[in-house]
Amino acid sequence: MVSGVFHTSYESDMALRRTPAQKIRIALFILFILVFPFFANKYTLTLANQIAIATIGAIGLNILTGYTGQISLGQGGFMAVGAYTAGLLTVRLGMPWWLSIIIASLVTAVVGAIFGIPSLRLKGLYLAIATLAAQEIILWTVTHWKGLTGGVEALVVPDPRLFGLRLNADFNFYWLAWALAGITALVTLNLFRTHYGRAFIAIRDQDIAAEVMGVNLFRYKLLAFAISSFFVGVSGALLAHYRSIVTWERFTLDVSVLYLAMIIIGGMGSVSGSLFGASFMTLLPAFLTNMGRALRKVFPAINAIMPFIQEATFGLVIILFLILEPEGLKKLWEDIKDYFRLWPFSY
Amino acid sequence: MRKWFFVIAVIALAAVALTACGGGGKSASAGPIKVGGLFDLSGPTSDVGTPYSEGVRDYVAWLNANGGINGRQIDLEWADYAYKVDQAEQLYSQYVNDGVVAFMGWGTGDTEALRSKIASDKIPYMSASYSANLVKDISKAPYNFLIGVTYSDQAIIAIQWAIQDWKASGHDGAPKVALIHHDSPFGESPVADAKAFADAHGVGFMHIAMPKGATDYVAELAQIQQFGANYVIVHTVSSPAAVLIKDAKSQGLLGKIKFINMNWCADEIFLKLAGDAANGVYGTIPFTPPTDPVPGHDAPAKWLKDHGSSLDAKGVHYVQGWWTMAVMAEGIKRAAAKGDVTGESIKAALETIKNFDTGGVTAPITFTAQSHRGNTALRIYQVKDGKWTRVTDYISAP
Repeated sequence: MVSGVFHTSYESDMALRRTPAQKIRIALFILFILVFPFFANKYTLTLANQIAIATIGAIGLNILTGYTGQISLGQGGFMAVGAYTAGLLTVRLGMPWWLSIIIASLVTAVVGAIFGIPSLRLKGLYLAIATLAAQEIILWTVTHWKGLTGGVEALVVPDPRLFGLRLNADFNFYWLAWALAGITALVTLNLFRTHYGRAFIAIRDQDIAAEVMGVNLFRYKLLAFAISSFFVGVSGALLAHYRSIVTWERFTLDVSVLYLAMIIIGGMGSVSGSLFGASFMTLLPAFLTNMGRALRKVFPAINAIMPFIQEATFGLVIILFLILEPEGLKKLWEDIKDYFRLWPFSY
Repeated sequence: MRKWFFVIAVIALAAVALTACGGGGKSASAGPIKVGGLFDLSGPTSDVGTPYSEGVRDYVAWLNANGGINGRQIDLEWADYAYKVDQAEQLYSQYVNDGVVAFMGWGTGDTEALRSKIASDKIPYMSASYSANLVKDISKAPYNFLIGVTYSDQAIIAIQWAIQDWKASGHDGAPKVALIHHDSPFGESPVADAKAFADAHGVGFMHIAMPKGATDYVAELAQIQQFGANYVIVHTVSSPAAVLIKDAKSQGLLGKIKFINMNWCADEIFLKLAGDAANGVYGTIPFTPPTDPVPGHDAPAKWLKDHGSSLDAKGVHYVQGWWTMAVMAEGIKRAAAKGDVTGESIKAALETIKNFDTGGVTAPITFTAQSHRGNTALRIYQVKDGKWTRVTDYISAP
């Protein structure tokens, strides 16, 4: 009988996959990801692709906000940098899509690091406002620098192709998006097994103590911004190639708030939490809309107020989650695991 | 105990795999014709989005009650997307998966975001976004169809009218025109074309964006005054336009400068919000408002009366939705007469529409394979006694 997971050696404590059960679960999850598209229809594939892109973006934000404790309201802006860079490189320079994604991510990393400079002096709410400025500045630039981005006009990106296959078809894109989501998760999990990751966590927990221990705050905060923005750039660039069209309206402040909600609901400072949060925030509106449509057919009288019921339910579910499980879906998942692990002696 | 995980995981996997298996079929040559709809009923543009969506939905209900298309009903699958692009994409792919053959959209956000997707899915798309980008290069938007006069054409018609009005009121030379617009792609869309037209006709031109979240536009009006504008074209939505006109009134500009509202701020909401200040304001209105009765109002008015409402209560955006759907239905009807109803056949059928009569609600609609700019003419209206009143006949943009 086990009463919990305890590590008796540093090796097992530091291991990427700590228990055999975890290995089985990951194997099952990967199996599911591999099998899913063959059973899915266009709609569920679209949802799955949106989740993959959101997961990459949420992991990126989680590195900065969840692991390093630097709140960011600039997510939408950074995604815009990734999307527009990838789009422009492909349209103007005729660059292949894969190269444009890599360069766009690097450019976003640099832009993120630049907007991360104020983080050395600013914390908490003040940093939130500084990153809000980043969001506004980037979007203003995108909509007003007509010579570069085309300003008002949406940027139409040619279809990404690989060996004659149209990669932005839902089925084909699925493999690219989930492969990149997997790589992002793996890199991030490993990042927090290195001294860089430990420095980030030290900054989050107590920045002064971290500095006393020899963590160069300026360097590591900028690094956190850069690494985080890199992944956010990946998700933005993927979005550009998936939708073949880049418009500013996809990257508004709403998006920044949505991603913050994802990591708060999913679980701060957790890769699996990012996946949970991204899935939840993508599937909940879809679920509510479908419920709404079904209800509308049964009770035509509520037709007029249905949208408001949906919006209110969305808010209510989020509030209830935060009250009942402030540590997010990740904690809920752990509770479920513990329940079965300790059964029948759970208390 | 660990085998529990395994059992649960397998059950979960099976459950998800099963639910994922539901698929949709393509529309056959019998049974209802599925059309998708995206409307804003709870987002930032819901004030005008709601009556527009009611117009679209009621036209479908009216058509179905009157026998449908060759006896086939139209099944409008719609949802509120609250002007969120991500949700628009989700709903769009869901409806396409369910086998819709045409799509009724709403704003600039969803129309632009779906432009490439509808082209590769071959789904004709009509929305209430009249950005000239959508019809400039047909290869970039081969499945978008525009019923309304584009924002560029509206601004050009306004300038054309200003030149004539300037001469008619006994002035020499050309007037000066200012374009004040919403700070967004929607707002900026006509600026370049309007400027080119003004420059070509020797009309002095300036344009200025209305800052987001502003509570008054006194500073912008001061700039317009400094420029010496004789005419001001207002391209925004109703509530900021009402604030602007009220500010203009308090600055004593209403007698000196003529204000011309473009279609999204020339409606009943503007009249209600601007109150007295609205009197004398002009409007470029591509869809005839209910206060100017034409035969095209009869069917929607009767339908609303039978259902306990009235056209005056619903307003011009209801008429706009009704007739936009009517043109789409005409395309479906022509496609059905020829054979299978698919996105491609509807597109081809829409391209055969020539001088389609909307009962005077719009100028006659014409599409060709080279141009989806359905309508280039409108009438100028003016607010008299709190009502939009016709002051010119149709004016065409060049």
